[in-house]
Amino acid sequence: MNIALIKTPAEEAFGISLPHRRMEEWRWTDLRARIDRPYPAHQNTVVAKIDVDRLIASSPFAKIKTHRIVFVNGSWDQAHSNFTGLTFEMGVPTSSAIDDPLIHLNGAIEPAGLTLRFESNMDVLVEIMHITTKGAARSMALRNCIEVADGASATIIETYLGEGDYVLSSVMEFEIGLGARLDRVKVEHESASATHLSHVVTSLAKDAKLNEFTLTSGGALNRQNGTYTFVGENADAKIAGAYLLNNKQHADTRLVVDHAVPHCTSRETFKCVMDDHARGIFQGKVIVRKHAQKTDGKQSSHALLLSEFAEFDAKPELEIYADDVVCGHGATAGDINLDHLFYLRSRGIPEAEAKSLLIAAFVGEAFDNVVHDGLRDALVNYAANWLQVRKNV
Amino acid sequence: MADQDTIELVKTIEVDKYKYGFETDIESDYAPKGLNEDIVRFISDKKGEPQWMLDWRLEAYRSWLHMENPTWAKVSFPKIDYQDLYYYAAPKSMAAPKSLDEIDPKLLETYAKLGIPLKEQEILAGVRKQGEKSMLDDDGNEVITGRVAIDAVFDSVSVVTTFKDELKKADVIFCSISEALREHPDLVKQYLGSVVPQGDNFYAGLNSAVFSDGSFVYVPPGVRCPMELSTYFRMNAKNTGQFERTLIIADKGAYVSYLEGCTAPTREESQLHAAVVELIAHEDAEIKYSTVQNWYPGDAEGKGGVYNFVTKRGDCRGARSKISWTQVETGSAITWKYPSVILRGDSSRGEFYSIAISNGKQQVDSGTKMIHLGKNSSSRIVSKGIAAGRSDNTYRGLVSAHRKATYARNFTQCDSLLIGDQCGAHTVPYIESKTSTAQFEHEATTSKISDDQMFYCMSRGLSQEEAVALIVNGFVRDVLQQLPMEFMAETQKLIGISLEGSVG
Repeated sequence: MNIALIKTPAEEAFGISLPHRRMEEWRWTDLRARIDRPYPAHQNTVVAKIDVDRLIASSPFAKIKTHRIVFVNGSWDQAHSNFTGLTFEMGVPTSSAIDDPLIHLNGAIEPAGLTLRFESNMDVLVEIMHITTKGAARSMALRNCIEVADGASATIIETYLGEGDYVLSSVMEFEIGLGARLDRVKVEHESASATHLSHVVTSLAKDAKLNEFTLTSGGALNRQNGTYTFVGENADAKIAGAYLLNNKQHADTRLVVDHAVPHCTSRETFKCVMDDHARGIFQGKVIVRKHAQKTDGKQSSHALLLSEFAEFDAKPELEIYADDVVCGHGATAGDINLDHLFYLRSRGIPEAEAKSLLIAAFVGEAFDNVVHDGLRDALVNYAANWLQVRKNV
Repeated sequence: MADQDTIELVKTIEVDKYKYGFETDIESDYAPKGLNEDIVRFISDKKGEPQWMLDWRLEAYRSWLHMENPTWAKVSFPKIDYQDLYYYAAPKSMAAPKSLDEIDPKLLETYAKLGIPLKEQEILAGVRKQGEKSMLDDDGNEVITGRVAIDAVFDSVSVVTTFKDELKKADVIFCSISEALREHPDLVKQYLGSVVPQGDNFYAGLNSAVFSDGSFVYVPPGVRCPMELSTYFRMNAKNTGQFERTLIIADKGAYVSYLEGCTAPTREESQLHAAVVELIAHEDAEIKYSTVQNWYPGDAEGKGGVYNFVTKRGDCRGARSKISWTQVETGSAITWKYPSVILRGDSSRGEFYSIAISNGKQQVDSGTKMIHLGKNSSSRIVSKGIAAGRSDNTYRGLVSAHRKATYARNFTQCDSLLIGDQCGAHTVPYIESKTSTAQFEHEATTSKISDDQMFYCMSRGLSQEEAVALIVNGFVRDVLQQLPMEFMAETQKLIGISLEGSVG
């Protein structure tokens, strides 16, 4: 339904209309209402090196040695980047025509970006980092394209860090070639008042493998879209995510896994922890096209609500047109199991600690998708810190 | 094995073999074609309704004019011309109210052919006339049927309601809604539209304006309805929309079980059926509502068939009340139906058991809504969809817990089975939890049948498949046993099949 609406100040500033709750995919995240004032693009902000250094140091992966490409306030910061041996071109990749409000928004802000190509097995971690320093309310955009050539393998880390009030739009395209492998880890740790909007477009060729994990913990408002299309047979996608939300944080993930060809496997595992007034949303859709026989698609989303005001909404969708498939989804929402808590307390573990243990175990399952030991340990530490802060409040 | 059986059996249930596709040649009284305020007045006048009822209808009609056809369901059909339909059709011989003996024999014959016994004494004795078949005895065997009070609705009017006197003794009111408007206007006025208001949705609005008949049930406090109540809907007249309205009220501590069956003749044009069902359960009351929907599904090419756009909603108003929907959907070209429960009372319970089978070019978009408002309210959803031919079968459901619905509990399981690669099965569940103490579980896999049960069965030598089939069947049989004998035979024929296979 297209209703003629009066443009909001933010829409005036962006020059496009924002999605609203009358649109099915946006029923729980009314971007039009949530972005309630203009965030002008391309504001000049004075960047102090010390701020950038501090933010880089606050990354959960600060201690891990990575090849790093750093963007600060929406433009490339060569001084902080370290990219010896990588082949990439600066400049925004030509956009594939996808009709999505977030991609339109990204285009409206005029993004910075690069095309990065992995020709062979890269035994290094490549980190794409976006840093936002304190400044006037503004919007920034990034658009990157990562190509993993046939038979190659790569590990990509995306880190989003910031301070202040801003809107960040990120569009990532991943092309995984024949028999190629991509490990992707994304950490969204934006400033507490930021809006993080991202869209990921991934295609998997024959025998390709994707291992993905997203941690959503920062920002006031999060919306992350992902589309994953199997274009070749026998490909395998593992997509995992965790939410660690508190205060009034809002995180909405919508994934579309499109089994366009036979014999592919997909797994989605989302573990969402919401405290205080936080609201977590998971919308996952698995499409199995007509001839995509022998598809194996499973989806699970689990929520742990730690406060009586927390909220979780889920819409795990299946759309299946082939008969010889194994597809399923599971979704649960609930509190910490009192029996589990009782068990731990009866063993002399104080309540707060027992709760932390149970929460850590709950999100831990999603971390298992991270193959690299160092990265996984860093994420576990991040969760432990989050729990420590929670316990001390 | 079980899978294969199911596939074979479902294949045999071809849409072309619709059993109830005959037409009764009976003269009908029509209202003029089309829809406007005069038609609404005409219907109201025909029924001899009080002024407030007419006003209520007109209010509904006026708000309907501003409403839009819902487009979110996964069904597609040509735009319906609402001016090209008859909104009222009644057998001519029905002009005056009559006793059973005076009813047009053609009507009685129709119901006999459908296997619906309208003659009380016959049912009591369990004897049938030669050649008069019941739904049970396809082979001609005599079967003693249970006692069921029936309200038979033919096109726009209620033909007869059986067992009235006996129900009266128990203080249960069971009659057509037109009669209720005459005899119990206060009750109708109090409850009508209190669960599904006039402006609820497009089809409910249409129904509120032009509904012609339907059943009314009121079970007084503390009364357990002594028999099953049932309505049998038959659409006969051409180009007619059927709009019936059912209102069931179970007062404090009351219990009632209600069944609904539907068939229609085979026609090339599609027919519209837009019903509204409202259930109200007060404190400690329980309502069981079962449907075997077998409207004409259209032919294999998707020509004809009934558009079944139904709004069904129950309201658990009192504490510890319970509403349970059981539905078997095999007919209709298009099904758009979401029997829901509003769990308002503390510790109230809602249940939804559904089996939807689609074949040919049928489109099913069905599911439920469980809206938890009361503390400790619980709900359970079990939905099995089977798609064959070139059909589309969608489960669409909502489970939501309000902030105050502490310790709400829901368990949802929806399984789908596809037979052939021309059909589609879809699941679109919505889960909204606004309280941490609510426990919601949604499952769409079969592997989660209790491992203990599986182990038990398999250790007795059953294969995994057999064990799963046994467990699921056992569970469903529990539900089916709630249905009275009349429905069970036919239903089992369809379901016995379906369930085994849905565990793939």
